[in-house]
Amino acid sequence: MTRLVLDEVVAIREGWRLAAQGTFDEGVHLISGDVGSGKSTLALLMAGLLPATSGSVKWEQCSSQMVSFQFPECHITGTTVREECESWGLDPSTILPSTGLSGKGDADPFCLSRGELKRLHLACVLARPYDLLILDEPFSSLDAREKLRTCNILSGRSRGITILFTHEQAILPHVGHIWEIRKGRLEYCGSPPEGLRNWQHAPPLIRKLIAEGKTPQNISPDALKEAACRT
Amino acid sequence: MQDVRLRTGAATLLSLVAFYNIQGAVAASIWWLIFTPNFHLIQKNRLILPSVAMIGVFSVLLEVTGGEGISYFFRMMVVILISAWLLSGQKKGDFLHLGCWLFGSRTGFELGMLAEMALQNLTTLVSDFDRIRAAERMKGVRSGIRSIVPIGRVLVHSTILRAEDTAELLAIRGYVRGGTFVCAFTHGRGDYIAAFFALCVSVIAIIPVSAFFILS
Repeated sequence: MTRLVLDEVVAIREGWRLAAQGTFDEGVHLISGDVGSGKSTLALLMAGLLPATSGSVKWEQCSSQMVSFQFPECHITGTTVREECESWGLDPSTILPSTGLSGKGDADPFCLSRGELKRLHLACVLARPYDLLILDEPFSSLDAREKLRTCNILSGRSRGITILFTHEQAILPHVGHIWEIRKGRLEYCGSPPEGLRNWQHAPPLIRKLIAEGKTPQNISPDALKEAACRT
Repeated sequence: MQDVRLRTGAATLLSLVAFYNIQGAVAASIWWLIFTPNFHLIQKNRLILPSVAMIGVFSVLLEVTGGEGISYFFRMMVVILISAWLLSGQKKGDFLHLGCWLFGSRTGFELGMLAEMALQNLTTLVSDFDRIRAAERMKGVRSGIRSIVPIGRVLVHSTILRAEDTAELLAIRGYVRGGTFVCAFTHGRGDYIAAFFALCVSVIAIIPVSAFFILS
């Protein structure tokens, strides 16, 4: 079973500190936190792309991993959209129709809009079964329909560890665990529904439902709808 | 050296002297060894070694084609080390203070702001480079010439986008030209001594030795 262990990890930069301790088992984990709290830094630490000031990050039975950066431009290596799909080892004829980019196979990826590029990038990333998949702000630049489609794909991930770092407040996938960064420390809130009560960065709708005694079973749109309609 | 005026003045003078001739480069490198954190700078600044390597390639080409490649390499290396020292002590807003002090609140403000933006962009480029390399590695792209081209494309594209964003932001905020700015400078203990010796080094390197000593 794939596992990611943060063993008293500490990252220190000028006037800023982040501490993280915890074990990430297979499933979907959501990590929230204020702007500048260190979400992107933690994503890099978890992927081993940034050395920790102290402590260690351990990967158990993890043979493949991917970090999706907030800005999809960082990942581009192809000169056309088709080449970009191929650079991920994927067949453009299956990826492009699913992203609505069928007619743009020969276009330069940099000529796509930010939303189109994010769509293409996520389609490529989510098409492969990574043992550890870290997504930094996967919903930025996406419209509501694309967010929902991405959430459905994420909710359906049956194997490996998926870690989402997001500020998203409206459309979220079905998650197994919720974490948040509070005052420079990664805290485990728990699994939904119990974990939702400890989640300080919970979206207003979830907080309202909890206050009304209608705690949702999860944070996906369907779960929220079910809770809101509960009598 | 805390005072940006003295630091920039000394760095400009020493760079010119180092590039001017070998004696100047030797004198500037001695000054660099005495008055700067010298080798700690090389460890801290990740741009130094790639810059030296690039100059090395040009120097070899120059030497092979009959030019003075070795001399060029040494002189340029000293210029790079002096520049690294100049930037290592840089604090946000330093060039804005310097620009306004030198050329006033219109032209000086513009030049200072441009220099600040360029410096900020340099830092961003380094972190962007790391991120792109990490993304390439995860995709299985090997390091080499073939990986440099996509990195260059992404860096150029993101720099142009950032420049456009900054220009739009300035226009939206009603920026036309110049601005009001109160210059302030802080001095370190050894600032004047280091600056004085930078001046001495420059004079000694430029004026022929025979002007100082009676040589038989």
